[in-house]
Amino acid sequence: MRHNFIDRYSALDSPLHVLEARTKILAFTGLIVAVLCIPVHSGVLFFVYFFATAILMGISQVPLGYIVGRTLFILPFIVLASLAVPWHGLTEIGVLFIRAVLCLMLLILLTNTTRFIELMRGLRKFGFPQILVMNLSFLYRYLFVLTEEAMRMKQARDCRRVARAPFRKELRILSSMLGTLLIRSFERAERMHSAMLSRGYSGDFPVVSPRRFSWHDLAFLCGVAVFITLTFWLRKT
Amino acid sequence: MKRPFHAGEVVRTMTDYVVRITRLSYTYPDGTKALEGIDLDVPVGERIAIVGPSGAGKSTLLLHLNGILTGTGSVKIMGSNLEQSNLQEIRKQVGLLFQDPNDQLFCPTVFEDVAFGPLNLSVPAAEIPRRVEKALNDAGLDQSIRSRSSHHLSLGERRRVSLAAVLAMEPAILGMDEPTSNLDPRNRRHLIEVVSGLKATLIIATHDLELVLDVCSRTVLMDQGKIWADGRARDMLANAELMEKHGLEVPLSLRSGVRSN
Amino acid sequence: MHIPDGFLTNRLAVSLDVVSGATILYAARRVKVDLSGRMVPLMGVLAAFVFVAQMLNFPVLGGTSGHLIGGSLLAILLGPMAGFLTMTTVVIAQALFLQDGGLVALGANVFNIAAITCFGGYAVFRLLGGASAKGKKLLIAGFLAAWVSLILSSTFCALEIALSGAIPLTVGLTTMLGYHAAVGIIEGMLTAGVLNFLLKVRPDLMKVNGSAKFGLADWAGALIFVAIPAVILALAGSSSLPDPLETLLASSPLLFSGTAPEELSSAARLTDYLIRAAVFIVLVAFGFLAGFIARRRSAKL
Repeated sequence: MRHNFIDRYSALDSPLHVLEARTKILAFTGLIVAVLCIPVHSGVLFFVYFFATAILMGISQVPLGYIVGRTLFILPFIVLASLAVPWHGLTEIGVLFIRAVLCLMLLILLTNTTRFIELMRGLRKFGFPQILVMNLSFLYRYLFVLTEEAMRMKQARDCRRVARAPFRKELRILSSMLGTLLIRSFERAERMHSAMLSRGYSGDFPVVSPRRFSWHDLAFLCGVAVFITLTFWLRKT
Repeated sequence: MKRPFHAGEVVRTMTDYVVRITRLSYTYPDGTKALEGIDLDVPVGERIAIVGPSGAGKSTLLLHLNGILTGTGSVKIMGSNLEQSNLQEIRKQVGLLFQDPNDQLFCPTVFEDVAFGPLNLSVPAAEIPRRVEKALNDAGLDQSIRSRSSHHLSLGERRRVSLAAVLAMEPAILGMDEPTSNLDPRNRRHLIEVVSGLKATLIIATHDLELVLDVCSRTVLMDQGKIWADGRARDMLANAELMEKHGLEVPLSLRSGVRSN
Repeated sequence: MHIPDGFLTNRLAVSLDVVSGATILYAARRVKVDLSGRMVPLMGVLAAFVFVAQMLNFPVLGGTSGHLIGGSLLAILLGPMAGFLTMTTVVIAQALFLQDGGLVALGANVFNIAAITCFGGYAVFRLLGGASAKGKKLLIAGFLAAWVSLILSSTFCALEIALSGAIPLTVGLTTMLGYHAAVGIIEGMLTAGVLNFLLKVRPDLMKVNGSAKFGLADWAGALIFVAIPAVILALAGSSSLPDPLETLLASSPLLFSGTAPEELSSAARLTDYLIRAAVFIVLVAFGFLAGFIARRRSAKL
């Protein structure tokens, strides 16, 4: 389990990557909401947004295979939806599918063109509670440490087993592993707290200086806003 | 009984002591006695090592220096007793380097980890980059490490980043818990060089007796929560009987006579 | 089950966003006030723990695997508010890192996976006297808390999707409940197993949540928490927000569907349904089989 699944492509250097996190959060959220508001029978609009998303994907330099691979996660829902209900005809399934896929692609673009740290800063500036942002940062930081510990435990367990044990035994082994990992987490948190206190922590987390908002950001935001407004206005006519 | 070695110690005035510990005792919540009647006075600028077998209470003692743990007895830092009201001030003066860098590096980037301390001390935002730069320099690190994430660093680098994070607060007293443990020879050497160049008063808890001989002039021997010896490093560490009695060994360089007096 | 974007009506998604957002803000304030600074690193590290734990798979039958979700466990160990915030962190991280669950649907996912499991699980735990129990009674309370939390969570998930018309309630409930009733047993056993482990090795850690008070303000909060979605649903149909999903599936009744389009005869309808059910079962069986074969193959290496 390599742990670079999180930030694999966020360190690239495309025109999208250089934008500030806040810009991207606003823009992509706007686009996702727009997609969710596209009236069902305007195939044209779907096509237009699909085209726009494809362009953004191209600019972002995130590999196509990766994006497509991730969209496969949608499939179980689609399958369930299409099979379960007799009156969902082909068009309806298609629309459901394309909506879900577009939103997913936009989300993938947002998270893979923004370094996690920047994303956290952006969220904080939008008013996300301090405690949640801190939790997410710690999660990000300790995910790697804990994954390594878990992998080591798994290896140690695998070294000591011959065949698949019966269900109850497997359950007990997993419980012990989880329990050990949990205790180590508690102890680590305790030591972390001591280290934080030693460096003057008193309950609040100060924010480091923010990134500049450049004209690139303004241009992109305006572009997206204009695009959304135009597409919806044109539909009306 | 507690102070058989006092060769060459100069009499100092009260104001010279940065750390004065008197009859410090500490018992863990589960009942284990960690410290019993510790007396320790550390003058300004001294480099003192605390050696002893595992479980002797070395780490526990360090945690009392900045109020993380509070025992019975008295601990005076720069002449002040440790109280709830002045803990922030004390923590500005006393920096602690913990054994596991992973516990101390919890921010997404090195820069933020090093800046964490100064920010908590309300150092003005404009001052922060300078502090971080200086701390990284003092810890022997290249400035390019600033934007990297700590989980991509090697253990040696993480150790030094942790040190930088503590140095950024510009403490007068620096406590270190096993600074050279698990380091490969090159990183160990590098760390010893860095530590040798520090200006703060150093209190180093360690098993690395060669480090003690390289860096520290005075050594305190702890075992089972008590201090058994306190004096010149070279003399104490060469005392085979004392060393073995407390689960240690005379370091190789002294045994083979490699070190010159 | 993490709901992706596009399966909930905008109105439902947005209202759940609001509800979850309010709950988060409230919990954040409560945790800050109640506890000292040590909670913050603890929640962060435990969030990482849950994230990792959810990836530690455990072979069940054939190709499927179970894992620990952890909501009720966290609530038991940290108290409902801190547990909720930790689970919320995990859900958000899953959406951001793995794109597991949509962006607009985040509120719904937080509601189902964090709020319902933590608060519901904790409520069951307290009702069964788990807080003051020892030994077997504690473990049973933990097991049931975990199991019920999954049942509740999947019920709400199915309800939300059904109310959006994407998958009717009968189908949604049977699949979700069926699956989660089984998975819930694993969740329950793992929760009880971990609690048992903790009791033996570090019983002091069970007291972290010590003073989890559930005062009058919390009861008021819980009431509002349930009331708001109910109100919103009652107002369904009166909003002028663009909601394409509703128009798309306007022909499908919302709850307990069973009526088919008029032009089909009942025999034709039944056959159609049976064929779809058969295809579905074949697909699921295929999934099991594929997983089983894959596991066998990797074990041989």
